Amino acid sequence: MRSTRLPVLFVLLVVVALASWYYRSQRVTSNTETIAVYYTKLDGTSLSDVRVSLRPPLPGESAAEHRHNAVLYAAVEAVAGPPNGIAAIRFAPGTRVLGAAVDGSTATVDLSKEVAQQAGGTFGENGEFKALVYTVTGIAGIDAVQVTVDGSRLETLPGGHLELDQPLHRSDF
Amino acid sequence: MTNRFIARTSSTAATAALVLLATIPARADAPLVALYQGETIRFTHVAQNSGRLAIGVQDPGFAALLHNAGAWLTWKPGERYVLITTSVPAVISFALGDRRYDAGPIALQAAFAPYERGNEVYLPFDEVLGALGLALRQDGNVKVLQPQLAALDVRESDGRVTLAAHGGGPLHLRVVQQSAAAMTYAFDGVGTTLSGTRKIGAGGVRSVQISVSGTVSEPTTLVTVRLETGATAQAPQNNGDRDVALSFSAASSGPQAVAEESPTPEPAPPEDNAPSASSAATVTGVTTEPNADGATVTITVNGSAIYEWHRLRDPDNRFWVDIKNAQLAGPPIELSTSSPIVSVRARQTDPSTVRIALSLDGSKPIEVTPSVTGLTLQVGGEDVADAPRSGGGSLGSLISASGPNAASPVTPVTPVTPAPADTSSGDLASPDENNWKFGPRSGYVPTNPRLIVIDPGHGGSDVGTQHGGLREADLTLDMAKRLRDILIARGWQVKLTRESDVDVYAPNDSARDELQARVDVANNAGARLFVSIHANAYINSGPYGTTCYISKPDDVAFARSVETHLAADGTKDDGVIKSHLYVTYHTRMPAVLVETAFLTNPSDYALLASAQWRQKVAQEIADGIGEYARAYPVPNQPAQ
Repeated sequence: MRSTRLPVLFVLLVVVALASWYYRSQRVTSNTETIAVYYTKLDGTSLSDVRVSLRPPLPGESAAEHRHNAVLYAAVEAVAGPPNGIAAIRFAPGTRVLGAAVDGSTATVDLSKEVAQQAGGTFGENGEFKALVYTVTGIAGIDAVQVTVDGSRLETLPGGHLELDQPLHRSDF
Repeated sequence: MTNRFIARTSSTAATAALVLLATIPARADAPLVALYQGETIRFTHVAQNSGRLAIGVQDPGFAALLHNAGAWLTWKPGERYVLITTSVPAVISFALGDRRYDAGPIALQAAFAPYERGNEVYLPFDEVLGALGLALRQDGNVKVLQPQLAALDVRESDGRVTLAAHGGGPLHLRVVQQSAAAMTYAFDGVGTTLSGTRKIGAGGVRSVQISVSGTVSEPTTLVTVRLETGATAQAPQNNGDRDVALSFSAASSGPQAVAEESPTPEPAPPEDNAPSASSAATVTGVTTEPNADGATVTITVNGSAIYEWHRLRDPDNRFWVDIKNAQLAGPPIELSTSSPIVSVRARQTDPSTVRIALSLDGSKPIEVTPSVTGLTLQVGGEDVADAPRSGGGSLGSLISASGPNAASPVTPVTPVTPAPADTSSGDLASPDENNWKFGPRSGYVPTNPRLIVIDPGHGGSDVGTQHGGLREADLTLDMAKRLRDILIARGWQVKLTRESDVDVYAPNDSARDELQARVDVANNAGARLFVSIHANAYINSGPYGTTCYISKPDDVAFARSVETHLAADGTKDDGVIKSHLYVTYHTRMPAVLVETAFLTNPSDYALLASAQWRQKVAQEIADGIGEYARAYPVPNQPAQ
């Protein structure tokens, strides 16, 4: 009797394992979200966007961590900008997202120092940060973006005009 | 129509086998040495997982590979997401424990999920290489990281087919064969897994065949495009060194009679944000409907467009809205209606502008609301004393689509983040004052209503931008002095924040101290208006034009007056743009920061270098100040 139960149990376990695998493998194809990644067009202010897919929360990923991960992803996408064939105002070459953090409804996005190597015009800084702020505040629960550069708050970019030492909102643009 | 050749290797049996293999613990492997674009890269953080290679994100060889491929990594120990930004640019998103990875709009499945060992995340190497447009190949005893023709998107539009090729390395294109029946292009130095033939049947293209020749180290990918009778091929267009577009037209849709050969791809056209004729919006209808509050005018627009509206003061109660880059479908429209609207007219005022004009029977308030289907004008029934006189924004679908390298999602996606509707407006902020951080107009009353403060941007230890021998600080001071002289001649009192090449606060001071010092000059003096003069710049020479930046509701009408006059300054009028700029944000009076022209653009540079042009700009700003002062007199003060 015992000798017949074991194979049955083994088969059941295999079936459960395969069913579990099948469910997990299908999960991502039925529950996909997107993020709107904004970019500022060359008129200096109009926005357009491209959409990128965002995975849903993973097992063990809390809502807070998922929001942090979504903010990081959105910020990296915004700083990367749209594909090169699209005419858009872009961050200075080499600008990267070093990290992101979320405190309440404010996201902090830490940029590399290359961001300061913009040419010094309002055109660039306004367009860059408008796109970043619109993209990151598209994440549910985020309504402001504090920009830091290499871990520090800047009053403005060198020679710049945009006030960076306080969180930026969509209404700033 | 958008199709993409994508190599797929999924089958239920194979995937099940991979899943079973995934239960086998990953093990460390011997270092991997591979050639990439002539350089030897040694990968030491390599492991086997599910019978596939895994690469540690802290591997020095991996860092070298990303660097050489123009890509970079965003990841910190302890974080779940691992993001790779490629040279496209496109962001590839991996996450610990998730086989899914996202490449732009596409969600894909990796052979195994990224996993953690120690403090390092290991990624599925083949998928990373694929995202970078590379493939690991064996050439005898040598492993080669071979750049791939990673994608060949087929796009059809208006009887034309474009094949958009993207490479994991520079695409060196040759035309190796051309005839009326077929064109064959060679991409030297790249291999591909996209081999095969694809039937197209559009845009004069019968089919596309892809094959590979050469060696692993020196591959060539051949793309043969078979054409229908009379079809034409346009010259290939490069967009950066990794993207090439091949375009074809059916016999009836293109003027070319023969295929054009271009052994060397032509440079990409300069970036130009001007919408093409094909992307023009269409004004398809104008209707009016009375309601309890007055009347509603509905303007139906197919497509996206910028709009700008103006109105005249009582007693000339006319209002008009110009929809730019738009065509009026059908003949001009003229509607007779009842109070508060006397008439509505719509006509094509120039080849790219449709104007809808309203004649009103009084100084009625008008609320302009853009939407994805056009514009709605809600005309109130009660007269108002001081209605806004101008505004603008964007209408239509602002979600402009995927980029040239975007593919159809393998996985259906559903939007969860709403687009910002008209908040992503074009020039000037929404007329809805609730959208202003400062709230509605401040009611500021100057203590010195005859004083204008002019701020020559930069100076002293901060020269601003400089280009070709011109320094922004010098130009702004020159224009400020010219403006001062004109205003004084017209009876104004004028104060400059600086009279010479100095810092206003102190040499090498902080941005806040310096900018606040300029703001203080105006605020402490109780000035009526504040004008900050600058020269713009960008990281390339493309952008040009004059822009007026503002931050507060009080700035709108003033900036509009200045901008209206500057529109004739000889360069492009980029309108009025709202931003969080220090000097316009912290001044209490109406303020504008004028970016007169781009030092980084050759034609704008020539203007800035001209004393005659700088005088013209000063004159136009002065005219704008005068117009504003007449339109908005200070209470109990004579108009200037």
